[in-house]
Amino acid sequence: MQPKQLSFLPDQASSIAGSVDGLYAFLVLVTAFFSLLIAFLVVFFAVKYRRRSDDEFPQPIHGSLLLEIVWSVIPLGISMVIFGWGASIFFKESRPPADSLEIYVTGKQWMWKLQHMEGQREMNELHIPVNRNIKLTMTSEDVIHDFFVPAFRTKADVVPGRYTTEWFRPTKVGQYHIFCAEYCGTRHSGMIGTVYVMEPSQYEAWLTGGGAQGTMAQKGEALFQQLACVNCHLTDGHGRCPNLVGVFGSDVKLKGGATVKADAAYVRESILNPQAKIVDGYENIMPTFQGLVTEDGVLELIEYVKSIGAKDAANSGTTGGSTTGAPAAVPTSKGPPPISPTQTLPSTAKPAAGSMK
Amino acid sequence: MTGHIVPKKVYYLIFLTLMVMTAITTAVAFVDLGRFNIVVAMAIAIFKASLVVLFFMHVHYSTKLTKMIVAAGVFWLAIMLLMTMSDLLTRGWMGVPGR
Amino acid sequence: MITATEPVVAPKTYLNAEYGAKSWLLTKDHKRIALLYLVSVTLFFFLGGIMAVLIRIELATPAGDLVQSNTYNKLFTMHGILMIFFFLIPSIPAVLGNFLVPLMIGAKDLAFPRINLLSWYIYVIGGFFTLYVLFTGGVDTGWTFYTPFSTTYSNTYVTATAIGIFIVGFSSILTGLNFIVTIHRMRAPGMTWFRLPLFIWAHYATSVIQILGTPVIAVTILLLALERGFHIGFFDPAQGGDPVLFQHLFWFYSHPAVYIMILPAMGVTSEIITTFSRKAPFGYSFIAMSSVAIAVFGFLVWGHHLFVSSQSVYAGMVFSVLSYLVAIPSAIKVFNWTATMYKGSISLNTPMLYAIGFIGLFTIGGLTGLFLAALGMDVHLTDTYFVVAHFHYIMVGGAIMGYLGGLHFWWPKITGKMYPENWARVSAIVIFLGFNLTFFPQFILGYLGMPRRYHVYPPEFQVYNVLSSAGATVLGAGYLLPFIYFFWSLKYGKPAGPNPWNAAGLEWQTQSPPLPENFVITPVVTEEAHTFSHREGVEVG
Repeated sequence: MQPKQLSFLPDQASSIAGSVDGLYAFLVLVTAFFSLLIAFLVVFFAVKYRRRSDDEFPQPIHGSLLLEIVWSVIPLGISMVIFGWGASIFFKESRPPADSLEIYVTGKQWMWKLQHMEGQREMNELHIPVNRNIKLTMTSEDVIHDFFVPAFRTKADVVPGRYTTEWFRPTKVGQYHIFCAEYCGTRHSGMIGTVYVMEPSQYEAWLTGGGAQGTMAQKGEALFQQLACVNCHLTDGHGRCPNLVGVFGSDVKLKGGATVKADAAYVRESILNPQAKIVDGYENIMPTFQGLVTEDGVLELIEYVKSIGAKDAANSGTTGGSTTGAPAAVPTSKGPPPISPTQTLPSTAKPAAGSMK
Repeated sequence: MTGHIVPKKVYYLIFLTLMVMTAITTAVAFVDLGRFNIVVAMAIAIFKASLVVLFFMHVHYSTKLTKMIVAAGVFWLAIMLLMTMSDLLTRGWMGVPGR
Repeated sequence: MITATEPVVAPKTYLNAEYGAKSWLLTKDHKRIALLYLVSVTLFFFLGGIMAVLIRIELATPAGDLVQSNTYNKLFTMHGILMIFFFLIPSIPAVLGNFLVPLMIGAKDLAFPRINLLSWYIYVIGGFFTLYVLFTGGVDTGWTFYTPFSTTYSNTYVTATAIGIFIVGFSSILTGLNFIVTIHRMRAPGMTWFRLPLFIWAHYATSVIQILGTPVIAVTILLLALERGFHIGFFDPAQGGDPVLFQHLFWFYSHPAVYIMILPAMGVTSEIITTFSRKAPFGYSFIAMSSVAIAVFGFLVWGHHLFVSSQSVYAGMVFSVLSYLVAIPSAIKVFNWTATMYKGSISLNTPMLYAIGFIGLFTIGGLTGLFLAALGMDVHLTDTYFVVAHFHYIMVGGAIMGYLGGLHFWWPKITGKMYPENWARVSAIVIFLGFNLTFFPQFILGYLGMPRRYHVYPPEFQVYNVLSSAGATVLGAGYLLPFIYFFWSLKYGKPAGPNPWNAAGLEWQTQSPPLPENFVITPVVTEEAHTFSHREGVEVG
């Protein structure tokens, strides 16, 4: 499946690849047409109007407004077509479909770490089923990387301190390169890997044969115990910290009146930089877990919080944003919700905060 | 240089104003105005910077061309800030992390 | 064509008016400062060129067999820094611009001769910092210095490099400042704005970018040094910063910086095309105003470097559409140059060959920019060899072709000697062919997905890499030729006479090499720029 030695196109192995190649073909034609036009005119003039005697002083032609307008408006029109075409592809690339299979990616100098929801971990390899929408949620432990699969015609930077998203729908079974496309230090060019696009049945076999110890959410729950989060984040609402049941995907009211959508970025920030946003009714007592938990661990914790979160949000993944009316949906989550979750949750816990002093 | 000669009194007056504004900045820093903290601090800073540019740097007494060039600098700064903010302020709109 | 009036006694020129190292190092003559710059930028060009050769040799095979990864990373970083900050940005403005701006507008010197000399010293100090880094261990961040790699993770001489670039920026600002004031205040009688040669318009636009943009890179690089040295968090998310903010600030300058390189080359091309077609430019005011438009619009497009960097989709849309607007003035220029040749009297001397080469390569470079400004297309192409090929078509195919074309065109004026025409034509053709062989395969490599800044690469990319490395050999040989015959011409070249090309500008109406004070009496301008007629080529006065 590796490209041949003298090819002009990489494998077309994603649903988006065809449309990117289409735009590419159009752009190549436009470039060839104008380059050849200019080259022809320049050479033609240079030959036809070559200097025949040193006494030639041709009549100046000072210009033509009509021509200037023509050769401004035509390129403008063509470039607006290109802009619209490129932007429409980009919008498609930016919006992962709601039914995507979610996979987490952590970049690190100089390797890719990938985690499946079912708990499988991979290093520099990604196994995915063909004809399924795949959504990557990515972050970096150190510098900026970039997850690039030429055969899928897509890439996105992997930025420390935030989550970025990339999605694709592989359409052809095979093996394809993963490149790190953002320069990241000494072994940047060694930060490559392979995507294995498999038949669904093979993928199922691979998933079950992986020897994973529990799903990501289960690992997250174990971590939640291990890091002693559970001591304060009680589920009965009387803990020193907010009850996390039903929080994910809802709007959380903060001290000072603002509200924030409880998405992956918010959970991540609350773990690593807890004093940044204090839930209304609670004190700023949580220590930072920066350095105590890896980016992979944070992703597992997010999966755990998501698994006990608002139901709609849990279905639609980390975005939360694509869920319509998520806050209104009161879930019946796995854990025992003794009090009404969602927005009202922090204020009902007020007495607990007061007792802190 | 055939610069305009500015009376010393003006310099002292501007200096005094700058010092007073500095004192106000410090005083305001002890009062929590919520989201207006930054607004007040920036307003005072811009006012002070304008005084320096107009009087200490003599732009107030200069030709239209000089004023135009200063305005161009401010305009370009505004481009930089506005278009950078156009990224920052629209980051959440898509509802997709990193988009 | 050459009016070889044998000089009886060597006339007084700026070259022989004074002798000794002091007369050069403390000179306030813009022409001598231009030569100081010529020597220093040539040095940095060859240093950067050596790095390029090593890079291409390394990439001839997929494995990393010539140098270590760290060394490779330092090579491409230094190649970028030397070529951009120490060669391309000062090349045309500080060498040709310094020499020609006063001559072309009929002035005795730039408005601030001492500041002009100061700008060269600042350049040299910045250069020493960079050479210090080069010879003590190098820097491996890439010329883009992306954070947090540069501020937290790199173990190389980032701060010293940053200081070098910070310093050299001031030399660029001072040159721009000098040009703007000179063009505003020191034009000869009758030299109205719309009689200015197109070279001057291009330099005016360039200067505007230099003084408005360069302070931003200076401050950005200072913030970078502060974060690296004192852990003040601006860009590193671990310290509460935003890494994408760095990219915004960096490209706010560094995208317009491309126009600092290309606009002067466009100015040179306008001069050469008109002179060797013996015809006034088609659409003078459109060419002139498109320079200004490029300078202004060029500041509104930087976000197209950030389409995949987690910039918001909406900001990406705005930057994409604005990027297409800046393409229009460039297209206008290309069409007007072509139309200028229509019904001209064209002679294919070396400068004209370079100018025609410029048009061709700039056209391809510009059109491939349309690929990269298209959002969905850029996602696939950015950070690949397609980008590398694109910007080399603009910077090498455009800016260096323009620089070499201009150097050949004004060499008779600068030195008073003709270069060997046939050798020069050969070198122009070799450079053109070598350039295309080097960089065209990189477009294909990029679309195939080969990322840039890769020390080792998968073997299926090798064929195009070998083609590219072979081309680089040809290109390198092409660049050595002018270096040799320019030296040769200093001693053996035929005397040029004041106006060997029968060109129109004021600079051709004084002797070659010019007097220290340029003109005996201040010229009075009575006609439009680029008006060609029989000229005697006699000095004014």
